[in-house]
Amino acid sequence: MRKMTEERPASVGSIVQTPAAAPLFIPPKRRFLELREQPSPNRSLLLGALGVICFFAVWELGHYLTDASSRRFVPSVENVAAALYRLFAEQDFLTDVLVSCRRIFISFLAASAIALPIGILMGCFGNMRALLNPTLSGCRYLPAASFIPLLLVWFGPTDTAKIALLFLGVIFFLISLILDNTNAVQKELVEASLTMGASRRKVLTGVVVPAAMPAIVDSMRNMIAVAWTYLVIAEIVGAQDGIGAVMMRAGRFLSVDVIMASILTIGLLGVITDLLFRAASRLLFPWNIERRS
Amino acid sequence: MTKIASLHAHASYDVGHAHPVLRAHRISKEYVNGTFTALDDVSFELKENQITAFVGPSGCGKTTMLRIIAGLEHPTRGRLEVSGKPVVGPGPDRGMIFQAYTSFPWLTVLENVEYGMKIIGIPAAERRERAMSFLKLVHLQKFVDSYPRSLSGGMKQRVALARTLAQNPNVLLMDEPFGALDAQVRWEMQELMIELIEREKKTVVAITHDIAEAIYLADRIIFFSRQPGRIKADINLDFKNGKRYPLKEELIKLPGYVDLEYRLFAMMREEIRDASSGE
Repeated sequence: MRKMTEERPASVGSIVQTPAAAPLFIPPKRRFLELREQPSPNRSLLLGALGVICFFAVWELGHYLTDASSRRFVPSVENVAAALYRLFAEQDFLTDVLVSCRRIFISFLAASAIALPIGILMGCFGNMRALLNPTLSGCRYLPAASFIPLLLVWFGPTDTAKIALLFLGVIFFLISLILDNTNAVQKELVEASLTMGASRRKVLTGVVVPAAMPAIVDSMRNMIAVAWTYLVIAEIVGAQDGIGAVMMRAGRFLSVDVIMASILTIGLLGVITDLLFRAASRLLFPWNIERRS
Repeated sequence: MTKIASLHAHASYDVGHAHPVLRAHRISKEYVNGTFTALDDVSFELKENQITAFVGPSGCGKTTMLRIIAGLEHPTRGRLEVSGKPVVGPGPDRGMIFQAYTSFPWLTVLENVEYGMKIIGIPAAERRERAMSFLKLVHLQKFVDSYPRSLSGGMKQRVALARTLAQNPNVLLMDEPFGALDAQVRWEMQELMIELIEREKKTVVAITHDIAEAIYLADRIIFFSRQPGRIKADINLDFKNGKRYPLKEELIKLPGYVDLEYRLFAMMREEIRDASSGE
Protein backbone atom coordinates (compact mmCIF):
# COMPACT_ATOMS: atom_id res chain seq x y z
CA MET A 1 0.00 0.00 0.00
CA ARG A 2 2.70 2.37 1.12
CA LYS A 3 4.73 1.68 -1.96
CA MET A 4 1.91 2.68 -4.26
CA THR A 5 1.56 6.12 -2.71
CA GLU A 6 5.29 6.68 -2.94
CA GLU A 7 5.23 5.98 -6.64
CA ARG A 8 2.53 8.50 -7.23
CA PRO A 9 3.58 11.77 -5.61
CA ALA A 10 1.16 13.67 -7.83
CA SER A 11 -1.75 12.43 -5.85
CA VAL A 12 -0.56 14.10 -2.68
CA GLY A 13 -3.13 16.62 -1.64
CA SER A 14 -5.80 15.37 -3.97
CA ILE A 15 -8.90 13.81 -2.43
CA VAL A 16 -8.91 10.08 -2.78
CA GLN A 17 -12.44 8.97 -3.43
CA THR A 18 -13.36 5.77 -1.68
CA PRO A 19 -16.00 3.90 -3.58
CA ALA A 20 -19.39 4.04 -1.92
CA ALA A 21 -19.96 0.94 0.22
CA ALA A 22 -22.58 -1.48 -0.95
CA PRO A 23 -25.89 -0.99 0.84
CA LEU A 24 -26.09 -2.72 4.17
CA PHE A 25 -28.08 -5.92 4.08
CA ILE A 26 -30.76 -5.79 6.71
CA PRO A 27 -31.68 -9.33 7.71
CA PRO A 28 -35.32 -10.09 8.42
CA LYS A 29 -36.35 -9.80 12.05
CA ARG A 30 -35.93 -12.97 14.11
CA ARG A 31 -39.23 -14.00 15.58
CA PHE A 32 -39.62 -15.58 19.01
CA LEU A 33 -40.90 -18.78 17.39
CA GLU A 34 -38.16 -19.00 14.76
CA LEU A 35 -38.06 -22.48 13.24
CA ARG A 36 -35.15 -24.56 14.54
CA GLU A 37 -33.48 -21.54 16.09
CA GLN A 38 -31.07 -22.40 18.91
CA PRO A 39 -30.96 -19.65 21.56
CA SER A 40 -27.57 -18.54 22.92
CA PRO A 41 -26.51 -20.04 26.28
CA ASN A 42 -27.27 -16.77 28.07
CA ARG A 43 -30.66 -16.50 26.50
CA SER A 44 -31.40 -20.15 27.37
CA LEU A 45 -30.58 -19.45 30.99
CA LEU A 46 -32.74 -16.35 30.99
CA LEU A 47 -35.70 -18.14 29.40
CA GLY A 48 -35.31 -21.05 31.82
CA ALA A 49 -35.33 -18.67 34.79
CA LEU A 50 -38.37 -16.92 33.33
CA GLY A 51 -40.17 -20.28 33.19
CA VAL A 52 -39.42 -20.97 36.85
CA ILE A 53 -40.60 -17.49 37.86
CA CYS A 54 -43.82 -17.95 35.90
CA PHE A 55 -44.39 -21.27 37.67
CA PHE A 56 -44.13 -19.64 41.09
CA ALA A 57 -46.20 -16.68 39.94
CA VAL A 58 -49.06 -18.90 38.80
CA TRP A 59 -48.85 -20.80 42.07
CA GLU A 60 -48.93 -17.57 44.08
CA LEU A 61 -51.84 -16.34 42.01
CA GLY A 62 -53.67 -19.59 42.69
CA HIS A 63 -53.21 -19.02 46.40
CA TYR A 64 -54.70 -15.54 46.34
CA LEU A 65 -57.54 -16.47 43.99
CA THR A 66 -58.63 -19.24 46.35
CA ASP A 67 -61.52 -18.39 48.64
CA ALA A 68 -60.14 -17.19 51.99
CA SER A 69 -61.93 -19.97 53.90
CA SER A 70 -60.04 -22.76 52.12
CA ARG A 71 -56.88 -20.81 51.44
CA ARG A 72 -54.88 -22.88 53.91
CA PHE A 73 -55.21 -25.88 51.57
CA VAL A 74 -53.50 -23.91 48.81
CA PRO A 75 -50.50 -22.45 50.64
CA SER A 76 -48.52 -19.65 49.07
CA VAL A 77 -44.91 -19.92 47.98
CA GLU A 78 -43.80 -18.18 51.22
CA ASN A 79 -45.85 -20.61 53.32
CA VAL A 80 -44.16 -23.56 51.67
CA ALA A 81 -40.73 -21.97 51.94
CA ALA A 82 -41.34 -21.37 55.65
CA ALA A 83 -42.51 -24.96 56.08
CA LEU A 84 -39.35 -26.15 54.35
CA TYR A 85 -37.25 -24.06 56.71
CA ARG A 86 -39.13 -25.38 59.76
CA LEU A 87 -38.74 -28.96 58.52
CA PHE A 88 -34.97 -28.69 58.29
CA ALA A 89 -34.43 -26.42 61.30
CA GLU A 90 -36.83 -27.95 63.80
CA GLN A 91 -37.93 -31.39 62.65
CA ASP A 92 -34.67 -32.98 61.56
CA PHE A 93 -35.90 -33.34 57.97
CA LEU A 94 -32.33 -33.86 56.81
CA THR A 95 -32.31 -37.33 58.40
CA ASP A 96 -35.46 -38.25 56.49
CA VAL A 97 -33.97 -36.91 53.27
CA LEU A 98 -30.81 -38.93 53.79
CA VAL A 99 -32.82 -42.07 54.59
CA SER A 100 -34.72 -41.63 51.33
CA CYS A 101 -31.51 -40.99 49.38
CA ARG A 102 -30.00 -44.12 50.86
CA ARG A 103 -32.99 -46.19 49.78
CA ILE A 104 -32.82 -44.83 46.25
CA PHE A 105 -29.08 -45.41 46.13
CA ILE A 106 -29.13 -48.99 47.41
CA SER A 107 -32.10 -50.06 45.31
CA PHE A 108 -30.71 -48.47 42.17
CA LEU A 109 -27.28 -49.95 42.75
CA ALA A 110 -28.80 -53.42 43.13
CA ALA A 111 -31.00 -52.94 40.05
CA SER A 112 -28.02 -51.76 37.99
CA ALA A 113 -25.78 -54.59 39.20
CA ILE A 114 -28.32 -57.09 37.90
CA ALA A 115 -29.61 -55.21 34.86
CA LEU A 116 -26.17 -54.44 33.41
CA PRO A 117 -24.93 -58.01 32.85
CA ILE A 118 -28.37 -59.33 31.89
CA GLY A 119 -29.13 -56.44 29.53
CA ILE A 120 -25.72 -56.61 27.88
CA LEU A 121 -25.88 -60.38 27.45
CA MET A 122 -29.37 -60.11 25.96
CA GLY A 123 -28.24 -57.32 23.66
CA CYS A 124 -25.31 -59.39 22.42
CA PHE A 125 -26.67 -62.88 22.13
CA GLY A 126 -29.89 -63.68 20.31
CA ASN A 127 -30.39 -66.90 22.22
CA MET A 128 -30.19 -65.11 25.57
CA ARG A 129 -32.70 -62.59 24.28
CA ALA A 130 -35.05 -65.31 23.10
CA LEU A 131 -34.75 -67.08 26.45
CA LEU A 132 -35.31 -64.11 28.75
CA ASN A 133 -37.10 -61.37 26.85
CA PRO A 134 -40.66 -62.74 26.89
CA THR A 135 -40.52 -63.18 30.67
CA LEU A 136 -38.77 -59.94 31.48
CA SER A 137 -40.76 -57.72 29.17
CA GLY A 138 -43.92 -59.31 30.58
CA CYS A 139 -42.71 -58.30 34.04
CA ARG A 140 -42.61 -54.68 32.92
CA TYR A 141 -46.39 -54.68 32.87
CA LEU A 142 -46.70 -55.78 36.49
CA PRO A 143 -47.47 -52.58 38.38
CA ALA A 144 -44.81 -52.09 41.03
CA ALA A 145 -47.33 -50.72 43.53
CA SER A 146 -49.27 -53.98 43.41
CA PHE A 147 -46.30 -55.70 45.06
CA ILE A 148 -46.81 -53.69 48.25
CA PRO A 149 -49.05 -56.24 50.03
CA LEU A 150 -46.73 -59.04 49.01
CA LEU A 151 -43.63 -57.22 50.19
CA LEU A 152 -45.36 -56.39 53.48
CA VAL A 153 -46.11 -60.07 54.03
CA TRP A 154 -42.56 -61.09 53.15
CA PHE A 155 -40.51 -58.37 54.80
CA GLY A 156 -42.90 -56.52 57.09
CA PRO A 157 -42.75 -52.71 57.31
CA THR A 158 -38.95 -52.77 57.00
CA ASP A 159 -36.37 -50.93 54.98
CA THR A 160 -36.01 -54.05 52.87
CA ALA A 161 -39.63 -53.88 51.74
CA LYS A 162 -39.18 -50.27 50.59
CA ILE A 163 -35.91 -50.93 48.81
CA ALA A 164 -37.41 -54.00 47.16
CA LEU A 165 -40.30 -51.95 45.81
CA LEU A 166 -37.98 -49.32 44.33
CA PHE A 167 -35.92 -52.16 42.88
CA LEU A 168 -38.96 -53.78 41.26
CA GLY A 169 -40.14 -50.48 39.86
CA VAL A 170 -36.90 -49.96 37.98
CA ILE A 171 -35.22 -53.27 37.15
CA PHE A 172 -37.34 -54.55 34.26
CA PHE A 173 -37.35 -51.27 32.37
CA LEU A 174 -33.65 -50.85 32.99
CA ILE A 175 -32.93 -54.29 31.53
CA SER A 176 -34.88 -53.62 28.38
CA LEU A 177 -33.27 -50.20 27.91
CA ILE A 178 -29.77 -51.65 28.35
CA LEU A 179 -30.70 -54.44 25.94
CA ASP A 180 -31.64 -51.85 23.32
CA ASN A 181 -28.51 -49.76 23.96
CA THR A 182 -26.31 -52.83 23.53
CA ASN A 183 -28.18 -54.05 20.51
CA ALA A 184 -27.83 -50.63 18.87
CA VAL A 185 -24.02 -50.84 18.77
CA GLN A 186 -23.00 -50.41 15.15
CA LYS A 187 -22.65 -53.83 13.55
CA GLU A 188 -19.52 -52.82 11.63
CA LEU A 189 -17.61 -52.06 14.84
CA VAL A 190 -18.11 -55.67 15.91
CA GLU A 191 -17.28 -57.04 12.46
CA ALA A 192 -14.18 -54.84 12.16
CA SER A 193 -12.80 -56.16 15.42
CA LEU A 194 -13.65 -59.74 14.43
CA THR A 195 -11.73 -59.36 11.16
CA MET A 196 -8.78 -58.08 13.19
CA GLY A 197 -8.82 -61.40 15.02
CA ALA A 198 -10.54 -60.41 18.26
CA SER A 199 -12.00 -63.25 20.31
CA ARG A 200 -15.67 -63.26 21.29
CA ARG A 201 -14.76 -62.14 24.79
CA LYS A 202 -12.54 -59.34 23.47
CA VAL A 203 -15.33 -58.14 21.19
CA LEU A 204 -17.74 -58.10 24.11
CA THR A 205 -15.50 -56.34 26.64
CA GLY A 206 -13.39 -54.30 24.25
CA VAL A 207 -15.95 -53.14 21.71
CA VAL A 208 -19.60 -53.75 22.58
CA VAL A 209 -19.44 -52.55 26.19
CA PRO A 210 -17.42 -49.37 25.61
CA ALA A 211 -19.50 -48.55 22.53
CA ALA A 212 -22.79 -48.97 24.39
CA MET A 213 -21.72 -47.40 27.68
CA PRO A 214 -22.67 -43.73 27.05
CA ALA A 215 -26.17 -44.75 26.00
CA ILE A 216 -26.41 -47.11 28.99
CA VAL A 217 -25.48 -44.33 31.42
CA ASP A 218 -28.16 -42.21 29.75
CA SER A 219 -30.70 -44.98 30.33
CA MET A 220 -29.64 -45.22 33.96
CA ARG A 221 -30.09 -41.48 34.32
CA ASN A 222 -33.64 -41.76 33.01
CA MET A 223 -34.46 -44.76 35.20
CA ILE A 224 -33.18 -43.20 38.43
CA ALA A 225 -35.71 -40.45 37.78
CA VAL A 226 -38.38 -43.15 37.74
CA ALA A 227 -36.99 -44.50 41.03
CA TRP A 228 -37.54 -41.07 42.61
CA THR A 229 -41.14 -41.10 41.44
CA TYR A 230 -41.69 -44.44 43.21
CA LEU A 231 -40.18 -43.19 46.45
CA VAL A 232 -43.36 -41.91 48.06
CA ILE A 233 -45.29 -45.07 47.21
CA ALA A 234 -42.49 -47.12 48.75
CA GLU A 235 -42.35 -45.09 51.92
CA ILE A 236 -46.10 -45.27 52.50
CA VAL A 237 -45.48 -48.93 53.34
CA GLY A 238 -45.30 -48.79 57.14
CA ALA A 239 -44.31 -45.16 57.06
CA GLN A 240 -41.72 -44.46 59.76
CA ASP A 241 -38.99 -42.39 58.24
CA GLY A 242 -38.04 -40.91 54.88
CA ILE A 243 -39.59 -38.10 52.90
CA GLY A 244 -42.64 -40.19 52.07
CA ALA A 245 -43.32 -40.86 55.74
CA VAL A 246 -43.11 -37.17 56.56
CA MET A 247 -45.65 -36.48 53.83
CA MET A 248 -48.05 -39.15 55.09
CA ARG A 249 -47.88 -37.73 58.59
CA ALA A 250 -48.42 -34.22 57.31
CA GLY A 251 -51.41 -35.46 55.36
CA ARG A 252 -53.04 -36.69 58.53
CA PHE A 253 -52.74 -33.20 60.04
CA LEU A 254 -53.83 -31.52 56.79
CA SER A 255 -50.49 -29.66 56.69
CA VAL A 256 -50.57 -28.97 53.00
CA ASP A 257 -47.54 -26.68 53.23
CA VAL A 258 -45.38 -29.54 54.56
CA ILE A 259 -46.66 -31.89 51.86
CA MET A 260 -45.82 -29.40 49.15
CA ALA A 261 -42.43 -28.66 50.68
CA SER A 262 -41.68 -32.41 50.59
CA ILE A 263 -42.81 -32.72 46.98
CA LEU A 264 -40.53 -29.83 46.10
CA THR A 265 -37.65 -31.50 47.94
CA ILE A 266 -38.09 -34.74 46.00
CA GLY A 267 -38.19 -32.81 42.75
CA LEU A 268 -35.03 -30.97 43.65
CA LEU A 269 -33.25 -34.19 44.63
CA GLY A 270 -34.29 -35.69 41.29
CA VAL A 271 -32.82 -32.75 39.41
CA ILE A 272 -29.59 -33.05 41.40
CA THR A 273 -29.20 -36.78 40.61
CA ASP A 274 -29.84 -35.99 36.97
CA LEU A 275 -27.09 -33.37 36.98
CA LEU A 276 -24.72 -35.75 38.75
CA PHE A 277 -25.31 -38.39 36.09
CA ARG A 278 -24.70 -35.86 33.33
CA ALA A 279 -21.47 -34.76 34.97
CA ALA A 280 -20.35 -38.37 35.42
CA SER A 281 -21.10 -39.07 31.78
CA ARG A 282 -19.00 -36.13 30.64
CA LEU A 283 -16.17 -37.26 32.89
CA LEU A 284 -16.32 -40.93 31.90
CA PHE A 285 -16.74 -40.43 28.16
CA PRO A 286 -14.72 -37.40 27.13
CA TRP A 287 -14.67 -38.77 23.59
CA ASN A 288 -18.43 -38.47 23.42
CA ILE A 289 -18.91 -34.90 24.62
CA GLU A 290 -19.91 -33.28 21.35
CA ARG A 291 -22.92 -35.52 21.19
CA ARG A 292 -24.68 -33.35 23.78
CA SER A 293 -24.34 -30.00 22.09
CA MET B 1 -1.44 -35.77 -0.49
CA THR B 2 1.55 -34.28 -2.28
CA LYS B 3 3.49 -37.48 -1.86
CA ILE B 4 1.91 -38.84 -5.01
CA ALA B 5 4.39 -36.95 -7.15
CA SER B 6 7.15 -39.25 -5.95
CA LEU B 7 5.30 -42.10 -7.62
CA HIS B 8 5.22 -40.34 -10.93
CA ALA B 9 7.54 -42.94 -12.40
CA HIS B 10 5.27 -45.84 -13.22
CA ALA B 11 5.51 -48.40 -10.55
CA SER B 12 5.53 -51.89 -11.83
CA TYR B 13 4.28 -54.86 -9.90
CA ASP B 14 4.95 -58.53 -10.16
CA VAL B 15 2.25 -61.15 -10.09
CA GLY B 16 3.06 -63.43 -13.00
CA HIS B 17 4.65 -66.47 -11.40
CA ALA B 18 3.26 -66.05 -7.90
CA HIS B 19 1.21 -68.88 -6.45
CA PRO B 20 -2.39 -68.14 -5.48
CA VAL B 21 -2.84 -66.40 -2.11
CA LEU B 22 -6.54 -67.09 -2.24
CA ARG B 23 -8.46 -69.88 -3.90
CA ALA B 24 -12.24 -69.81 -4.13
CA HIS B 25 -13.50 -73.12 -5.44
CA ARG B 26 -17.13 -73.49 -6.55
CA ILE B 27 -18.54 -71.19 -3.90
CA SER B 28 -22.32 -71.02 -3.60
CA LYS B 29 -24.35 -69.14 -1.07
CA GLU B 30 -28.05 -69.70 -0.58
CA TYR B 31 -30.30 -67.91 1.85
CA VAL B 32 -33.57 -69.01 3.44
CA ASN B 33 -33.32 -72.70 2.63
CA GLY B 34 -32.35 -72.24 -0.97
CA THR B 35 -35.10 -69.84 -1.99
CA PHE B 36 -32.55 -67.12 -2.74
CA THR B 37 -29.19 -67.79 -4.35
CA ALA B 38 -26.71 -65.00 -3.75
CA LEU B 39 -23.75 -66.79 -5.29
CA ASP B 40 -23.85 -69.66 -7.73
CA ASP B 41 -20.76 -71.78 -8.32
CA VAL B 42 -18.14 -69.04 -8.23
CA SER B 43 -14.48 -70.00 -8.64
CA PHE B 44 -11.38 -67.82 -8.92
CA GLU B 45 -7.83 -67.54 -7.69
CA LEU B 46 -6.04 -64.42 -6.53
CA LYS B 47 -2.35 -64.13 -7.18
CA GLU B 48 0.00 -62.59 -4.71
CA ASN B 49 0.36 -58.84 -5.03
CA GLN B 50 -2.62 -58.51 -7.32
CA ILE B 51 -5.32 -55.89 -6.96
CA THR B 52 -8.69 -57.29 -7.93
CA ALA B 53 -11.86 -55.25 -8.18
CA PHE B 54 -15.28 -56.87 -7.76
CA VAL B 55 -17.67 -54.96 -9.97
CA GLY B 56 -21.32 -55.55 -10.71
CA PRO B 57 -24.85 -54.30 -10.19
CA SER B 58 -26.47 -54.14 -6.77
CA GLY B 59 -27.48 -57.56 -5.52
CA CYS B 60 -24.94 -59.46 -7.63
CA GLY B 61 -23.35 -61.14 -4.62
CA LYS B 62 -20.04 -59.29 -4.69
CA THR B 63 -20.46 -58.15 -1.10
CA THR B 64 -21.46 -61.66 -0.05
CA MET B 65 -18.33 -63.00 -1.74
CA LEU B 66 -16.14 -60.47 0.07
CA ARG B 67 -17.78 -61.27 3.41
CA ILE B 68 -17.22 -64.97 2.80
CA ILE B 69 -13.54 -64.28 2.18
CA ALA B 70 -13.46 -62.23 5.38
CA GLY B 71 -15.04 -65.14 7.23
CA LEU B 72 -18.00 -63.05 8.34
CA GLU B 73 -20.34 -65.32 6.36
CA HIS B 74 -20.08 -68.96 5.36
CA PRO B 75 -20.70 -70.43 1.92
CA THR B 76 -23.43 -73.03 1.53
CA ARG B 77 -21.21 -75.03 -0.81
CA GLY B 78 -17.64 -74.84 -1.98
CA ARG B 79 -14.23 -74.32 -0.54
CA LEU B 80 -12.17 -71.27 0.23
CA GLU B 81 -8.47 -71.25 1.00
CA VAL B 82 -6.18 -68.42 1.97
CA SER B 83 -2.46 -69.21 1.81
CA GLY B 84 -3.36 -72.88 1.50
CA LYS B 85 -5.48 -72.99 4.65
CA PRO B 86 -9.27 -73.30 4.58
CA VAL B 87 -11.18 -70.27 5.84
CA VAL B 88 -13.49 -71.06 8.75
CA GLY B 89 -13.97 -67.63 10.29
CA PRO B 90 -12.61 -64.11 10.45
CA GLY B 91 -8.91 -63.67 11.12
CA PRO B 92 -6.13 -61.10 11.01
CA ASP B 93 -4.62 -62.67 7.88
CA ARG B 94 -7.51 -61.02 5.99
CA GLY B 95 -7.84 -57.35 6.87
CA MET B 96 -11.10 -55.65 6.00
CA ILE B 97 -12.02 -52.03 5.43
CA PHE B 98 -15.72 -51.25 5.55
CA GLN B 99 -17.76 -48.58 3.84
CA ALA B 100 -19.08 -47.48 7.25
CA TYR B 101 -16.60 -45.74 9.50
CA THR B 102 -15.26 -48.29 11.95
CA SER B 103 -12.81 -46.27 14.00
CA PHE B 104 -13.58 -46.94 17.65
CA PRO B 105 -14.84 -43.59 18.95
CA TRP B 106 -13.60 -44.17 22.51
CA LEU B 107 -9.99 -44.65 21.37
CA THR B 108 -7.68 -41.96 20.05
CA VAL B 109 -6.38 -42.24 16.51
CA LEU B 110 -3.14 -43.77 17.79
CA GLU B 111 -4.96 -46.22 20.09
CA ASN B 112 -7.19 -47.22 17.18
CA VAL B 113 -4.21 -48.14 15.04
CA GLU B 114 -2.63 -49.98 17.94
CA TYR B 115 -5.82 -51.92 18.68
CA GLY B 116 -5.40 -54.42 15.85
CA MET B 117 -1.74 -55.03 16.66
CA LYS B 118 -2.59 -55.49 20.34
CA ILE B 119 -5.00 -58.26 19.40
CA ILE B 120 -2.40 -60.18 17.45
CA GLY B 121 0.05 -59.79 20.33
CA ILE B 122 2.62 -57.33 19.05
CA PRO B 123 4.59 -55.98 22.04
CA ALA B 124 3.78 -52.45 23.20
CA ALA B 125 6.96 -50.67 22.11
CA GLU B 126 6.91 -52.11 18.60
CA ARG B 127 3.17 -51.41 18.42
CA ARG B 128 3.65 -47.73 19.16
CA GLU B 129 6.45 -47.40 16.63
CA ARG B 130 4.59 -49.22 13.88
CA ALA B 131 1.41 -47.26 14.55
CA MET B 132 3.27 -43.97 14.30
CA SER B 133 4.92 -44.94 11.05
CA PHE B 134 1.63 -46.01 9.47
CA LEU B 135 -0.09 -42.86 10.68
CA LYS B 136 2.65 -40.90 8.98
CA LEU B 137 2.02 -42.85 5.77
CA VAL B 138 -1.65 -41.85 5.81
CA HIS B 139 -0.75 -38.26 6.76
CA LEU B 140 -2.38 -38.33 10.17
CA GLN B 141 0.71 -37.79 12.33
CA LYS B 142 -0.77 -34.52 13.60
CA PHE B 143 -3.94 -36.23 14.80
CA VAL B 144 -2.56 -39.12 16.84
CA ASP B 145 -4.22 -37.91 20.04
CA SER B 146 -7.53 -36.86 18.48
CA TYR B 147 -10.72 -38.80 18.92
CA PRO B 148 -12.36 -40.01 15.70
CA ARG B 149 -15.39 -37.76 16.33
CA SER B 150 -13.32 -34.73 15.38
CA LEU B 151 -12.09 -36.26 12.10
CA SER B 152 -13.58 -35.96 8.61
CA GLY B 153 -14.85 -39.01 6.74
CA GLY B 154 -11.70 -39.29 4.65
CA MET B 155 -9.52 -39.10 7.75
CA LYS B 156 -11.57 -41.81 9.45
CA GLN B 157 -11.05 -44.09 6.46
CA ARG B 158 -7.32 -43.37 6.62
CA VAL B 159 -7.34 -44.45 10.28
CA ALA B 160 -9.04 -47.67 9.20
CA LEU B 161 -6.46 -48.12 6.46
CA ALA B 162 -3.54 -47.61 8.86
CA ARG B 163 -5.12 -49.89 11.47
CA THR B 164 -5.63 -52.69 8.96
CA LEU B 165 -2.27 -52.40 7.21
CA ALA B 166 -0.41 -52.26 10.53
CA GLN B 167 -1.60 -55.80 11.16
CA ASN B 168 0.17 -56.83 7.96
CA PRO B 169 -2.62 -59.04 6.55
CA ASN B 170 -2.01 -61.39 3.60
CA VAL B 171 -5.12 -60.12 1.87
CA LEU B 172 -6.65 -56.68 2.14
CA LEU B 173 -10.43 -56.63 1.62
CA MET B 174 -12.27 -53.40 0.93
CA ASP B 175 -16.04 -53.05 0.78
CA GLU B 176 -16.60 -49.80 -1.12
CA PRO B 177 -14.24 -48.03 1.23
CA PHE B 178 -14.63 -44.66 -0.47
CA GLY B 179 -18.34 -44.94 -1.17
CA ALA B 180 -19.34 -42.44 1.49
CA LEU B 181 -16.74 -39.82 0.57
CA ASP B 182 -17.19 -36.82 -1.69
CA ALA B 183 -15.55 -36.79 -5.12
CA GLN B 184 -12.37 -34.92 -4.26
CA VAL B 185 -11.61 -36.85 -1.08
CA ARG B 186 -12.40 -40.02 -2.94
CA TRP B 187 -9.82 -39.20 -5.55
CA GLU B 188 -7.19 -38.41 -2.92
CA MET B 189 -7.96 -41.70 -1.16
CA GLN B 190 -7.61 -43.67 -4.39
CA GLU B 191 -4.17 -42.18 -5.00
CA LEU B 192 -3.14 -42.84 -1.42
CA MET B 193 -4.40 -46.39 -1.82
CA ILE B 194 -2.22 -47.05 -4.87
CA GLU B 195 0.77 -45.58 -3.06
CA LEU B 196 0.23 -47.72 0.04
CA ILE B 197 -0.45 -50.96 -1.80
CA GLU B 198 2.64 -50.39 -3.88
CA ARG B 199 4.67 -49.85 -0.74
CA GLU B 200 3.24 -52.65 1.36
CA LYS B 201 2.99 -55.17 -1.50
CA LYS B 202 -0.51 -56.32 -0.70
CA THR B 203 -2.96 -58.65 -2.35
CA VAL B 204 -6.15 -56.63 -2.51
CA VAL B 205 -9.81 -57.27 -3.24
CA ALA B 206 -11.89 -54.11 -3.53
CA ILE B 207 -15.60 -53.84 -4.17
CA THR B 208 -16.73 -50.83 -6.11
CA HIS B 209 -19.74 -49.57 -8.02
CA ASP B 210 -17.56 -47.03 -9.73
CA ILE B 211 -16.20 -48.31 -13.03
CA ALA B 212 -13.52 -45.60 -13.30
CA GLU B 213 -12.36 -46.42 -9.77
CA ALA B 214 -12.12 -50.11 -10.64
CA ILE B 215 -10.02 -49.41 -13.74
CA TYR B 216 -7.78 -47.01 -11.84
CA LEU B 217 -7.10 -49.27 -8.87
CA ALA B 218 -7.24 -52.79 -10.23
CA ASP B 219 -4.94 -55.12 -12.12
CA ARG B 220 -7.91 -57.37 -12.67
CA ILE B 221 -11.65 -56.89 -12.64
CA ILE B 222 -14.11 -59.63 -11.80
CA PHE B 223 -17.55 -58.62 -13.01
CA PHE B 224 -20.49 -60.28 -11.27
CA SER B 225 -23.94 -60.72 -12.78
CA ARG B 226 -27.00 -60.74 -10.62
CA GLN B 227 -29.50 -63.31 -9.42
CA PRO B 228 -27.92 -65.70 -9.13
CA GLY B 229 -24.52 -64.11 -8.56
CA ARG B 230 -22.08 -65.50 -11.12
CA ILE B 231 -18.85 -64.31 -12.66
CA LYS B 232 -19.88 -62.65 -15.91
CA ALA B 233 -16.36 -61.63 -16.92
CA ASP B 234 -12.87 -61.95 -15.52
CA ILE B 235 -10.77 -59.23 -17.09
CA ASN B 236 -7.03 -58.73 -16.77
CA LEU B 237 -6.21 -55.09 -17.33
CA ASP B 238 -3.56 -55.85 -19.94
CA PHE B 239 -3.66 -52.34 -21.38
CA LYS B 240 -1.71 -51.18 -18.32
CA ASN B 241 1.24 -53.33 -19.49
CA GLY B 242 1.79 -54.74 -16.02
CA LYS B 243 2.21 -51.33 -14.46
CA ARG B 244 0.27 -49.17 -12.09
CA TYR B 245 -0.47 -45.56 -12.88
CA PRO B 246 -0.75 -43.34 -9.83
CA LEU B 247 -1.71 -40.40 -12.02
CA LYS B 248 -5.19 -40.83 -13.38
CA GLU B 249 -4.71 -38.55 -16.36
CA GLU B 250 -1.86 -40.73 -17.64
CA LEU B 251 -3.95 -43.85 -17.28
CA ILE B 252 -6.81 -42.36 -19.26
CA LYS B 253 -4.43 -41.48 -22.10
CA LEU B 254 -3.42 -45.11 -22.61
CA PRO B 255 -4.79 -46.94 -25.65
CA GLY B 256 -7.28 -49.47 -24.44
CA TYR B 257 -8.64 -47.42 -21.56
CA VAL B 258 -11.73 -46.24 -23.34
CA ASP B 259 -12.41 -49.67 -24.83
CA LEU B 260 -12.35 -51.24 -21.42
CA GLU B 261 -14.51 -48.54 -19.89
CA TYR B 262 -16.98 -48.94 -22.76
CA ARG B 263 -17.07 -52.68 -22.27
CA LEU B 264 -17.71 -52.38 -18.53
CA PHE B 265 -20.43 -49.77 -18.98
CA ALA B 266 -22.08 -51.97 -21.61
CA MET B 267 -21.99 -54.96 -19.26
CA MET B 268 -23.45 -52.88 -16.46
CA ARG B 269 -26.25 -51.65 -18.73
CA GLU B 270 -27.01 -55.21 -19.78
CA GLU B 271 -27.39 -56.21 -16.16
CA ILE B 272 -29.58 -53.26 -15.31
CA ARG B 273 -31.77 -53.88 -18.35
CA ASP B 274 -32.21 -57.54 -17.40
CA ALA B 275 -33.21 -56.48 -13.92
CA SER B 276 -35.79 -53.93 -15.06
CA SER B 277 -37.31 -56.27 -17.64
CA GLY B 278 -38.11 -58.58 -14.76
CA GLU B 279 -35.80 -61.40 -15.67
